[in-house]
This record gives sequence, structure tokens and C-alpha cells, in this order.
Amino acid sequence: MTPQPERCLTCGDAAVTARVVEVRDLEALVAVAGETESVALDLVPEARPGDLLLCHAGIALERVAEGTP
Amino acid sequence: MRYVDEYRDPDLARGLVAEIRSLVVPGETVRVMEVCGGHTHAIFRHGLEELLPPEVEFVHGPGCPVCVIPMGRVDDAIAIAETEGVTLATFGDMLRVPGGRGSLLEAQARGADVRMVYSPLDALELARREPERHVCFFAIGFETTAPATAVTLLRARDDAVPNFSVFCNHVLIEPPLRAILDTPGLRVDAFIGPGHVSSVIGSDAYGFIPEEYGRPVVVSAFEPVDLLQSVAMLLHQRAEGRCEVENQYTRVVRAEGNPRALAAIAQTMEPREDFEWRGLGVLPRSALRIRDELAGLDAETLFTLPGERIEDPKACRCGEVLTGQIKPWECGVFGTACTPERPLGTCMVSSEGACAAYFSYGRLRRPREEAPVGG
Repeated sequence: MTPQPERCLTCGDAAVTARVVEVRDLEALVAVAGETESVALDLVPEARPGDLLLCHAGIALERVAEGTP
Repeated sequence: MRYVDEYRDPDLARGLVAEIRSLVVPGETVRVMEVCGGHTHAIFRHGLEELLPPEVEFVHGPGCPVCVIPMGRVDDAIAIAETEGVTLATFGDMLRVPGGRGSLLEAQARGADVRMVYSPLDALELARREPERHVCFFAIGFETTAPATAVTLLRARDDAVPNFSVFCNHVLIEPPLRAILDTPGLRVDAFIGPGHVSSVIGSDAYGFIPEEYGRPVVVSAFEPVDLLQSVAMLLHQRAEGRCEVENQYTRVVRAEGNPRALAAIAQTMEPREDFEWRGLGVLPRSALRIRDELAGLDAETLFTLPGERIEDPKACRCGEVLTGQIKPWECGVFGTACTPERPLGTCMVSSEGACAAYFSYGRLRRPREEAPVGG
């Protein structure tokens, strides 16, 4: 998962949200900042295309509930 | 950008700043510690300190995992990297961290095979692609990053990858918070809890802070509207005489966290007896080691490591910065002997360290220098 350039990758709080494009077993292709990347779904196996995921260090940590502030 | 812009909305931010102004008591300073380096970075990047009344003072906490890794562990990683036939893979931010024998980048310049990866899974993939080499992943991070390492260890075990190991330096968030809360003369009134650590451990994990130490906590997301809302929530608690854990980051964080992530960590790692933190000293049960069942994947079993304890440079006051006792610019070497290009202290190493954030965004303004110190 490519971090925002000015953020520290190691810090867990540099996690990013990404939209699921495609799911293959326990791997998802996600779209983030105009690119497609692969993340592991071991911890969020219920993820489906269209879901928004919180991703960090190559794995999805949680589904993001969408709404307004 | 979708799902970011909503949380940077100027009208929402203005409304929250007005709400915060209405909640402060003139002359009564409320010191809010943001635990996480990501929050520190966001506060500076968006200039939040200057939007808020002087009665709200941010204190920057210990939540940068790069910043708290002791120099002796960096030397251990260098020893692994300099072993014949071994590739050491780690996150980019670790490469510049100075140990007693220089940094991993300097070891790379001397000929060690050090590579940057974005994920421990990338390091495992490297091991599969280069079976003639042993690939060791130098793992650091709080509970947010530990699940990725746990998943990688489980995959390496299940696929019996013979040339892969992990040098485990994962740390836990509760022990340093307790160390800060136990600091005599603590100058922190309330806490903004880390958002993404909490997506793993859950907001209930901070119950000990109001219950045992009488300080409120709001778990927060990272955009400016999120942080302003979290400050307002803390001030509402204070005004209403409440002291509890609240969750501002409800779009991601659940009270119980992510049970699958917690189970993966528990399956692969267990607490160490103690671990040294830069600036905070040795804290009991504050870090994770790889379980004996996975000893074949544990670099601490496979390699002979120097394991030396190296004192921080005497001029460095990172410990006082990490516990909120001084501001970065009050350290004598800040911005002179210690800069992001040549960091002396650990808080200057990572872009999310408190000193690096002050250096990059606020070093000429020193925004709180003239603020009232009473309260």
C-alpha cells in the first residue's frame, strides 16, 4: 500500500482508505489515489467490490462505514 | 478526494472552532495529549493550533513507532543485514534511524543488502522469488501494523517458506500511556486516542484512563474536522462533569476492535517480559515477541544478535518531549545539531515525530511561546 508521500509509512495511522474493485479469494484489488493495488483480506474476508476498506502495510484492517461528518 | 474532502470542509471546521471557543473557560488551560504521531502531523499540517483559543494546548505523545525503537535494536538489525547471504527488508522510515553503529542506509552503503518494502507480505514474496537468499523482515509498529506481520507469519508457516524470518519489534500502546500517566507532575488533562490502533484493539481498551487516572479520552480520526470535533467532545465532557472514553471515529472503530486481527496477533506473538523504549526507558510487557511455536521464523532465534543497550545522546531531550514535559523547541539541539537531515534524537527521525513536525511546520512561529501557562 503506497502511503501519502509526506506521511510515515511505518506509523499505523498512515493507513489509507481504498475502494474494492475486485475480490479473488483472500486478495482484493483496490483503487487508491488513481492506482490499483493488491491487499490481503485475511482480516476482512467479507469485503466485496464497492466496499471502502481501511488498508495498512498491504492488508485490509477494517471496512469503513460511509456517511457524512 | 472522495471521503477526505468532507472531513476538511472549512464551514464545518469554522463551526467546530466556534463551539470550542464557547466551551473553554478564559484563562483555564486544557492540555490535550494526542497520542498518535499521525495526529501530531495532521495538527501541524492543517495549522489547527493556531485556529484554537490559547486555552487549548496540544501535548504531543509517544505514538510514533519509529521514534521509540531503541538504538540497540537498530544495531541488531544491522548485524542481521550484514550477515552473508541475508537480505534485510523493512519500511523506508526505519532506514534513516541512527543506531550506535549508524543507520541501515549507512550499512547498505557499506554493502549490506537492505531493501525497502511497503508490507511484510512483500518481504515474504521477496523470499519466494529469491530462494538462494534468507530474507528477514525488520518488523516495527503498534497494534495497527502487528496484524500484517501476523498474517505474514501465518502464511510463511502454512506454505513452509524456508528462507524467511521476522525480527519482531512490535510494541503495545497501553504500557507507554500508563508510563506517561504515572509521570510525577503530569501536565496532561485529556487524551485524543489513536484512530487506527483502535480499529484493531477497540475503543474499550482505553477504559483504564478515565477509570484509574481520571482523564477523558476521545478516539479520533485524522482529518481536521475529525480532530476539531474530538477536541469539542473532550471539552463537552469537561463542561458536563463527565470523564469517559468516547469514539469520534465511528466510521472505522468498534468498541471491541477487530477480533480477527487480535486473534492473528495472539496466534503468532506474545508479550515480552519487558522492552526498552527510547525516551521512556524499560517498560514491562510493552512489546511482542514471536511465539515459540514459530521459532523457525524468529530472527532472534536464528541469528546471534549483539543485543546491547545504547544510551541516548546526552544532549537529546526526546524523553521529555515524548512525555509532554517540554516542547521540541525547548531542547538545546533542536534545529541546530538535530535536524531531519541529520537526526540526533529519535523524535526528529520520522516525519511524524513531534520534533520533525515542529521543524517542518512550526519552528519559526513557536505558536505557544506566549500562551498562558497557568491553569
